[in-house]
Amino acid sequence: MALVELRGVSKSFTKGEETITPLDEVDLDIQAGEFVSLMGPSGTGKSTLLNLISGIDRPDRGTISVDGVEVTGLSRSKLADWRAANLGYIFQTHNLIPVLTTYENVELPTLLLKLSKSQRRQRVELALEAVGLTDRANHYPRQLSGGQEQRVGIARAIVAHPKVVVADEPTGSLDAQTSEQIQTLLQRLNRELDITLLMVTHDRDVAGIASRKLVLDQGKFVDSETAITMGV
Amino acid sequence: MHNYVFKTLWRYRTRTLLTVTGTAVAMFVFCFVGSVQQGLDQLTSGIDADRSLIVFQENRFCPTSSRLPQSYADQIKKIDGVAGVMPIQVWTNNCRASLDIVVFNGADPDQIQANRPIQLVEGNWSDFQSRRDAAIVGRNVAQRRGIKTGDQFSIGNISVNIAGVFRSAVPSEENLIYTSLDFLQYTRGLDTAGLVTQHEVLLSEDANPDLVARNIDKTLRAGPVATKTRRKGVFQASTLSDLVDLIGFAHWLGYASVGLVLALVATTTVMSVQDRIKEYAILQTIGVGPFRTLRLVLAESTLLCVLGGIAGTGLALLILGLGGFAIGAEGATIAFRPSVNLFASGVVVSLVVGVISGLAPAVQAATVPIVRALN
Ligand SMILES: Nc1ncnc2c1ncn2[C@@H]1O[C@H](COP(=O)(O)OP(=O)(O)OP(=O)(O)O)[C@@H](O)[C@H]1O
Ligand SMILES: [Mg+2]
Repeated sequence: MALVELRGVSKSFTKGEETITPLDEVDLDIQAGEFVSLMGPSGTGKSTLLNLISGIDRPDRGTISVDGVEVTGLSRSKLADWRAANLGYIFQTHNLIPVLTTYENVELPTLLLKLSKSQRRQRVELALEAVGLTDRANHYPRQLSGGQEQRVGIARAIVAHPKVVVADEPTGSLDAQTSEQIQTLLQRLNRELDITLLMVTHDRDVAGIASRKLVLDQGKFVDSETAITMGV
Repeated sequence: MHNYVFKTLWRYRTRTLLTVTGTAVAMFVFCFVGSVQQGLDQLTSGIDADRSLIVFQENRFCPTSSRLPQSYADQIKKIDGVAGVMPIQVWTNNCRASLDIVVFNGADPDQIQANRPIQLVEGNWSDFQSRRDAAIVGRNVAQRRGIKTGDQFSIGNISVNIAGVFRSAVPSEENLIYTSLDFLQYTRGLDTAGLVTQHEVLLSEDANPDLVARNIDKTLRAGPVATKTRRKGVFQASTLSDLVDLIGFAHWLGYASVGLVLALVATTTVMSVQDRIKEYAILQTIGVGPFRTLRLVLAESTLLCVLGGIAGTGLALLILGLGGFAIGAEGATIAFRPSVNLFASGVVVSLVVGVISGLAPAVQAATVPIVRALN
């Protein structure tokens, strides 16, 4: 059984008269340890797909399960607990808590788990080490560069040792050099820590670091070869 | 997660400070009004309000106009249910409503010591008993007028030597100055030898106060001056009835202060949550549940409220304690004293108001549509 399983997932939005269906009866399997990239034209529903897998949004139809747990059947409160233990979310930008230091931001998810003080400390230090920010532990987000902020976001997403980490354009707002650093970091996390990753990107080179490339277009997955011939 | 609450309050410290200050001012008023209310309640619920009677001249109100023969005491003593009688001469600097009323009660020092629930906090009884012009003052007057033991205190034609300062189990008594009966009777201008203002009657354990009161008035009807006898609490409340109505009105001011705090803290919290709605969406994406989110917001509003509540209530109690405020008319007074109860109710009220004022924004934060707030 795949780690992440989507079966017949549909999601539509209505804006006034118009109904958009970014996801139409989508099926998807992601195996444990995979690094999957997801591309596609703007507005095709890539972020929506991540949100559904994370349980911060709900599908109109279909089921999503992660590691055997049917996420679509959980209450809002249960979903939050589930996320705390099983899911890491890497945002595109600016999503650290400004009043908390680097250390405290990374520590946040661990406060939601049953861990001892020393276990918590150990995990935060490990996560900060993994992203190379041990020396910035006491800095506040406003004292960090964009790339450093993104690395703190990544440390926060992996600190609870989640089963899946989703990333929505994690390099989207970074310059080429910083973007490369982040790509290397994600690749290392996947290879060395065996973290299962699903990453949305618009950049073909960034997508190239993944072990499997998906393209979403008009509500369906198309394989990347077809996508290239279609010019997507 | 408390860390997040504290740091958020600190980050927006101007807003925090303004809200806490506003809350403190309102809770200050609440507490002040509360102490007035409390003084009023104690007038009729104090330990001696129902167990002692005041015999006063019929149809007279100001103490200067009530003149009863001192010898009535012997007649009253013989009536069933009477345990003791203390003739009292009253002198006041002001018969109308006043915030700085000074009331002298002249009575036998031994009887005062035996019958009144008072304790000297300064000075000693023997000085009071041995000197004719000696006086002991209630700590409320002492505080208000800055009187200390050993001082000479003069007002009107009266000049006394302060032998001590007392506190009383009956708060309004702390507004009194006790002298010996003779001294006050022979004060120049009072001209009341053999006359007293009122008789205070102590009841025996099982006596029915109203029955004894009727018997006293009936017995004394034969005397030269008709009397009107009432329970002490009723006597004081009716003496102060105009003030009682006015003060009764003040409790609306108390409710208004609570409403003010509610509006203030609710506004601050709503604004704070709306400003940071994305932060709450991020927290929930990380895995903070709706109930925990609810608690985070409630903690914020409650902390603001309780900080302000403690500051305002504490300041009010300090000022009440140092100021020795009292309001009085016609020789009866209401004391505004600080009390543990007042502090506790101030803190409890701010706690409850803190929770209530945070409810709406807390629900808003807990149920925020996460995806929409993130974008
Ligand atoms: N809350 C919403 N209400 C209405 N329409 C929505 C809502 N959220 C998303 N949509 C629409 O659904 C479609 C898919 O949005 P989504 O954000 O998933 O696209 P995307 O593939 O991530 O695009 P981009 O590459 O630009 O980030 C878009 O057309 C968007 O306008
Ligand atoms: Mg998107």
